[in-house]
Amino acid sequence: MLYENRKALREVCDKYEDSHPGININLIYRETEELRSNFQSAALGGSGPELIYGPSDQVGPFAVMGIIKPLDDLFPPSFFNQFSSNAVVQFQDKTWMVGDGVGNHLMLMYNKDIVSSPPENTDEMIKIGKSLTKDLDDDGIIDQYGLVWNFTEPFFYVPWIGGFGEWFINDDGSPNLNTKSNENAFAFIKSLRDEHRIIPKECDYETANALFKTGRAAMIINGDWSWGDYRDKVDFGIAALPMVSSTGVFPTPLVSTKGYSINVHTTSEKLSHTIDLMTYLTSPEVQLHYMRRLNVQPSSLAALSHPDVQANSLLKQNAAIIKKGRPMPVVPELRAIWDALRGEYQSVLAGTKDPHTAAVESQRKAIDQIKTMNLVIEPGVQGKFIKGLLFLFIAALGIIFWIKKKIYLRSFQENKFAYLMLLPAFLGIMSVIIFPFGYNLIISLSNFSLRTFKDWEIIGFHHFASVLTDGGFYSLFGKTIIWTVVNVCFHVSLGVFLAVMINRTLPAKRTLRTLLIIPWALPQYIAALTWRGMFNQEYGSINLILNKFFNMSPIQWLSQPVEAFSACIITNIWLGFPFMMVVALGGLQSIPKEMYEASQVDGASRWQQFWNITLPMIKPVMIPAVILGTIWTFNNINVVWLVSNGGEPSDLTHILVSYVYKAAFNLYRYGYAAALSMIIFLILSMFTVSFMRRSKLDAVV
Amino acid sequence: MSKKIETLFIFSFLVLFTLATLYPALNIIGISLRTDDAFQTRSLALWTAESSFRSYFTLFLETDFLTWMKNSFLVSFVVTLTGVVLASTSGYALSRFNFMGRRAVLSSLLMTQMFPATMLLLPFFILLAKLKLINSYLGLIIIYSSTALPFCIWQMKGYYDTIPAALEEAARMDGCSRFSAFIKVILPVSSPALVITALFSFMASWSEYVVAAIVLQDPELYTLPLGLKSFQASLATQWGLYAAGAVVVSIPVTILFISLSRFLVSGLTVGSVKG
Repeated sequence: MLYENRKALREVCDKYEDSHPGININLIYRETEELRSNFQSAALGGSGPELIYGPSDQVGPFAVMGIIKPLDDLFPPSFFNQFSSNAVVQFQDKTWMVGDGVGNHLMLMYNKDIVSSPPENTDEMIKIGKSLTKDLDDDGIIDQYGLVWNFTEPFFYVPWIGGFGEWFINDDGSPNLNTKSNENAFAFIKSLRDEHRIIPKECDYETANALFKTGRAAMIINGDWSWGDYRDKVDFGIAALPMVSSTGVFPTPLVSTKGYSINVHTTSEKLSHTIDLMTYLTSPEVQLHYMRRLNVQPSSLAALSHPDVQANSLLKQNAAIIKKGRPMPVVPELRAIWDALRGEYQSVLAGTKDPHTAAVESQRKAIDQIKTMNLVIEPGVQGKFIKGLLFLFIAALGIIFWIKKKIYLRSFQENKFAYLMLLPAFLGIMSVIIFPFGYNLIISLSNFSLRTFKDWEIIGFHHFASVLTDGGFYSLFGKTIIWTVVNVCFHVSLGVFLAVMINRTLPAKRTLRTLLIIPWALPQYIAALTWRGMFNQEYGSINLILNKFFNMSPIQWLSQPVEAFSACIITNIWLGFPFMMVVALGGLQSIPKEMYEASQVDGASRWQQFWNITLPMIKPVMIPAVILGTIWTFNNINVVWLVSNGGEPSDLTHILVSYVYKAAFNLYRYGYAAALSMIIFLILSMFTVSFMRRSKLDAVV
Repeated sequence: MSKKIETLFIFSFLVLFTLATLYPALNIIGISLRTDDAFQTRSLALWTAESSFRSYFTLFLETDFLTWMKNSFLVSFVVTLTGVVLASTSGYALSRFNFMGRRAVLSSLLMTQMFPATMLLLPFFILLAKLKLINSYLGLIIIYSSTALPFCIWQMKGYYDTIPAALEEAARMDGCSRFSAFIKVILPVSSPALVITALFSFMASWSEYVVAAIVLQDPELYTLPLGLKSFQASLATQWGLYAAGAVVVSIPVTILFISLSRFLVSGLTVGSVKG
């Protein structure tokens, strides 16, 4: 939600508060993805906001989980009749959301200073695009693009499937990706980039937006939400996405609504206030306010017939564009389809799959994912058995405790002081780490998923079995090992190397040491996002530097699997070496100078000194640090997630932890994700124990 | 003579390396000085003709940045205090006493680091909701202090191990109780490790986002990372503001690190092995 929209919402809420003394509206703002996961957790805990405002595609999952209320019995039928039909969101014959505007659809926007009239069809678009993609200063680098958009995202891609004739989803919510249209659309986008070269090689939303706003792109494909942002910067016009020349069909953008749903936990007096507030927030009066301030297309029929709306030429054009679109599906299966499509589509763009294979594969994957997402494993005999086993285990613990009560009590008496010193920390860790751990153990044995959100049961080791029999797990595990080993090796060798360099008489020694610690000091998420920016193919400093000083051609850091994974590793090496350096410095300081002097007398070379004195002497401090570093790196989700933008391209840059996150929050497979994290835990415990045994470091703990 | 050349060589290498290391940090400062739309440029210069401190003015004058900062300081301060008190006492117990369950406690401390943190979120939320601690600093503080504790305890225990036991034995002979021997004798000599513990607890809470996002819901209570994230709408990030905010958020931690780097080297023991 844009900043301006947030402000407008606050304004109308203030107005409501003024006329309803005693009512306080608390606005909590979250980004779409987070809104979803946070509201899910909140609803599971039995709390959360009364009213949820968001895009219509969240209706499906929320309704299936049973965390929002059907609205049919809360409002009179006349209430629903006052909106245009696509603002009243229905799913499984019930109404779950009412929108306060219609739109969120893609269109072609063009900079009127550069383009006189928008292209009618794709041939024209390519022609205009070619003439406007320019290298102004003849340095071999494009300075102005004909067309930009966030073309790697499925939402920005599917309108073209429609333009080639068929649609990507069937009416019953099943995917329809194995089609000629999908193949043609894949090939079409790829040709725009590789053959006609009218779009940049790598172009995420931010890049496209910035290029258009600064007049470095003639046309952009973007949604109505961006108007407010462009209004003061570019003299722009809007048009429908140009007709596909070979088919004579217009692309079909997804048209959705943003609207209000009611939390299932809202009851009694609060519920009636909530209904009243929702009626107000969707009223013609509020919608006209949004229309005037933000150019939002109203959903209320009364507002639509208001003279101000009629007179608004932008909205008039917009209404025509909306007519070419199709409503956004609200079924929960949509997520699985997006996900399958995204991966295959990115493979086509990366050149690793041809359009036909990708179309076949995306259909297969979508069906698979829908199956796993909707899978409900019924608790069988195994479930009961496990339950019994858990019960016995707890009982056994209790009995052992009871029998050994005296010994424990005596031990407590003897070491009262130690136990008391330990108690507060123990309680804290117990509640915050041990409890969630136990909770996860139980979840990992359960069928907790989208369809069993509120009534999950223990089913046994199904998830463990499906993790371990899935080939994907082993390739992820392999990647995680590469990730960990490469990172830790670089951290340690770079750290020790720098420490040895610094630990001598040098000018400005302290300053250098201090400055080298800075990567460690920076908050990780800030550093990771900065690096992501630096890896941008065209505008990132890394390629610019490589080009300027080493005359290398730009590397596609973020859209090729190996490069993207390397980008994550480079970022993490940068973040992690200072810790090892500091530990090594600490170790170096404890080595008496005499040892070096003595060996010098014996005629030992520098290298021999390092190998025979330095390394053995710092080993005892380095080994615990290496163990910790390995565990931290293995479980470091931030860097991979932020640098590769959640596993891009095609989910090929995931390590185990980032995959856990995706399984849990993207496809609602909580049980599976919990089982996977238990396996990660076991892997790390085994590593630690064997590593400590081998380095005879039982004494560490 | 060759020694001098070698020093010069190493020195210039280190300077180059440091500059390369600092580049990403400088890069974000550069972005914070540009306008929102100018972040996609091909210029490597950090300061351009268009650069200005405008984002910083907007940040402090037009957003709630100062409130978030105050909140973050409050939370981090309490977490640091709790972390230091709890880690210093329990680390001491683990270092000096051989009681039943000691080894189990030590290994489980290490084990806590092995579980993927993302999967702890849902249970956290359910726990806090049951305890009615959602939307309160108390909930946040409990989580932050406890998640930072295992490392801090390990670290304190490692440092205590290097202090000879004869020290408090002497104090006990002079009639000190165990506790006062700990307070009067051991704590003062452990100051480097205490400083490190404080630093780690502070860092764990200062820039944490994920847990804060599920616990805090009232914008009045937002901490810095939450506030910063609100500049980052999915389809229209205010990059200038975001970068300026990021720079300001990083300043306190960086200053802490720089001023404490002396202790870092002497106090960070990560649990070294007794020789």
